[in-house]
Amino acid sequence: MREFSFRRPFTRILSGAFLLLPVLAASSLMAEQRSGNVYLLPPCVTTVGEQIDDLIKIIFWLCAAIFVLTQVTYVYYLIKYRRRPGVPAHYSHGNNTLEIIWTTAPTLVFLALAIYGNRIWENIHRPAPENSLVIDVSSYQFGWDMRYPGISGKLAPMDVRKIGPENRFGTDPENPLTAQDVVAPELVIPVGRPVHLLLHARDVIHSFYVPEFRLYQDCVPGRTIAWVWFQATRTGEFQLACNQLCGTGHYNMKAPIRVVTEEEFQKWLTPRQQKNAGPAQTAPSAPSSPQAAAKAATLTASPAKNTL
Amino acid sequence: MSASVTADSHAAHAHHGDDHGHGKPGIMHWIWNTDHKVIAMQFLVSAVFFLLIGGAMAVAMRWQLGFPGHPIPVLGHLLPSGIVNDEGAIMPSGYNVLVTMHGTILVFFVAMPLLIGVFGNFLIPLKIGAGDMAFPALNELSYWLFALSGVIMMASFWVPGGAPGTGWTGYAPLSSVAAYNQTPMGQTLWCVALFVNGLSSLTGAVNYITTVITMRAPGMTMFRMPLPVWAIFLTAILLILAIPVLSAAAALIIFDLNLGTSFYKPQGGGQPLLWQHLFWFFGHPEVYILILPAMGLTSEILSVNSRKPVFGYKAMVWAMIAIGFLGFIVWGHHMYVSGMNLTLSAAFSVSTMVIAVPSAIKTFNWMGTIWRGSIHYTVPMAFAVAFVSMFVIGGLSGIFMASTPVDLFVHHTYFIVAHFHYVLFGGSMFAIFSAIYFWFPKMTGRMFDNTLGWIHFWMTFVFFNLTFFPMHNLGLGGMMRRIADPTVYDCLRQLQPLNVVCTIGAIGLGLATIPFVVNLVMSLRKAPDAPANPWNSTTLEWTLSHPIQHGNFPVTPTVYHGPYEYSVPGLQKDFLPQNEKAPAHVTLEAH
Repeated sequence: MREFSFRRPFTRILSGAFLLLPVLAASSLMAEQRSGNVYLLPPCVTTVGEQIDDLIKIIFWLCAAIFVLTQVTYVYYLIKYRRRPGVPAHYSHGNNTLEIIWTTAPTLVFLALAIYGNRIWENIHRPAPENSLVIDVSSYQFGWDMRYPGISGKLAPMDVRKIGPENRFGTDPENPLTAQDVVAPELVIPVGRPVHLLLHARDVIHSFYVPEFRLYQDCVPGRTIAWVWFQATRTGEFQLACNQLCGTGHYNMKAPIRVVTEEEFQKWLTPRQQKNAGPAQTAPSAPSSPQAAAKAATLTASPAKNTL
Repeated sequence: MSASVTADSHAAHAHHGDDHGHGKPGIMHWIWNTDHKVIAMQFLVSAVFFLLIGGAMAVAMRWQLGFPGHPIPVLGHLLPSGIVNDEGAIMPSGYNVLVTMHGTILVFFVAMPLLIGVFGNFLIPLKIGAGDMAFPALNELSYWLFALSGVIMMASFWVPGGAPGTGWTGYAPLSSVAAYNQTPMGQTLWCVALFVNGLSSLTGAVNYITTVITMRAPGMTMFRMPLPVWAIFLTAILLILAIPVLSAAAALIIFDLNLGTSFYKPQGGGQPLLWQHLFWFFGHPEVYILILPAMGLTSEILSVNSRKPVFGYKAMVWAMIAIGFLGFIVWGHHMYVSGMNLTLSAAFSVSTMVIAVPSAIKTFNWMGTIWRGSIHYTVPMAFAVAFVSMFVIGGLSGIFMASTPVDLFVHHTYFIVAHFHYVLFGGSMFAIFSAIYFWFPKMTGRMFDNTLGWIHFWMTFVFFNLTFFPMHNLGLGGMMRRIADPTVYDCLRQLQPLNVVCTIGAIGLGLATIPFVVNLVMSLRKAPDAPANPWNSTTLEWTLSHPIQHGNFPVTPTVYHGPYEYSVPGLQKDFLPQNEKAPAHVTLEAH
């Protein structure tokens, strides 16, 4: 059989193949907006996202270091210990000290990463602040409905069991708050203010995914997912995407997101609230606690009781 | 014990049924045969057939992602009308079908039969010195259950509504409610096919476990077994524990779809997350079912071609046992953001990080194996060497997703697509190609063509990386998986050049199969020319020359030492077969 030797362009092709990829990636994106980072991350516009980006960078550099160290050693061995006449292989079944070292070291590194990651995870999922704006997000095949609190500052209570084709949000038609709710086909949020989302799905599982928010969360039928909140750090226009295969129209199940200043937000929301307020309504006394609104909205669907 | 089964005791059997003992074997020889070597070939031919179908689906998907809405040149019209429109361009619903069937076929009809059906069947009896499997007829039944499940799966393309488009993960209630998926018949057939496929895996697994435990040749202790046998033995145990859960979960979908039950439908009191827990309780061990045999095969091929014993044989075995055990307590890392309890996510994050440790041990031991070796660059060695690097990339990218906050961002993006293709293609498939080339001389009695082998290797290596490496960036760039057209999103249009790069890579990867298949067919057409032991290997299968008769060993071999005694000082040749006693002046190191 024909021998394969390293004197042939093996190493050159190998290194070439590895070098080619980043070059291709970089050149094809030179003109694009994402040139500010090596990972092609989209811009990050939430406080949560900044923590996640920092963690990605830590893991990236750790992995890059491990990759380069192991692969350089590996390729060096592959070249150095290629078959040469008169040089027999070394007879060895292993080395226990080495085994212990390379079992312990990764264990410590990986456990540290798990603990560090989980601290951020816990931080992300601490309860939403008092001044949060509560928005009910209802997903369906193949679109999104958003429900904002009406003039009273409170979302009408809902029950996931009442969600159906005639009752998109599962609210109680008898309740006066229901008529006040502001329903919109887009997600408009004020910059700098915490936004607390109540995620619902009417038919199958969908997911709320916004890459610029660094946020993915499934919306599960029969449940209220009430732990998602975030705070946008700058204004802009983005797109909400469904990222859980949900049927034929899945690929195009999107909704516009506008992060606007508090002023613009009020300019957008207030007329809509007033339109739904009805003739007998007076102006709201004070914005009520969003926590209370969230609680009211999740009357029968406490996440704590409902997790599987 | 049954270890005394030899060619002699099988001779009578072989004569009356299978090949009549003389002349060219008839067609029945290949259709119903209880010889484990023939069954391995049946699995090989079927799995390569499915590899071509599933691979073609992948190229079609890549075409749509690189050039959304453009008709597929030439081949577009050959696809079923449910997949493409009149112009030959893929429709969104057709894309979902391709996503689903590509995943299902590659996992259940390519990777599993190749690793377990082919190499489990072929190698276990030969490597442990047995005449056949413990239950030869059950073994053939296992193949035909597999073939039946393949027919059922493909039949779903021709029923009303067509094949399912709910992903290989078939998340309920999309999969379990006809009004949501529009393909109740296809989805039901998908479930039935997985159920029958599960029976095939279970019958195979029972057989492997019994064979390994009861039919080892004298002297073949558990810790003298070659690593592929250990790997497939542990895989069989995982199969027995994991497969029934999938079968039960699939049966519940059949009930929900056809009998009006509500296991997964909240309106009837069911729980959508129940499916995910059941599916991933199977699904995560499944990942290790697909990688453990690959690790075992690679370990042996690296050792043989480096002319060195496997570094830390016992550590390798214990690492595989650890992977098998830990594999059952990490399923929740597929569900961090599914609506599962958040503290549970944090707990699964810890177990997931821990399972990286045995994989790291194995990587270091592979590097230890080639260290100070005398590396012989053959085609199987090239694939095995590449396997280690690709597996390192796949393992490291897994760390990103194991971290809960990062998963909050990269979950269900192309980052995960890149990750599992580095593990399952760069890992499992590279190991499969390596093993096919390595054992081809033993399976067929013929050497493969070296030049075509090298062409196959370089095309696969280069185009594989060209296809899948940029997907890491696509994923971090926010590209969702399983969307038929990324250009409908503003932020993804900027990334379209990368999608084109991936598509070019995928087309090249598809073309790389041509030298592989041509090589297999051409080599099979020539007269047997392979020496009994072309790689100077130590394990028992290489002591037999072609053709190996039904019953394998004319005389049951006796095993004197562990499997990887290469370059033992003081010996004339650089390998000491397992059935040869070391001369008195030679001391073997404990392994």
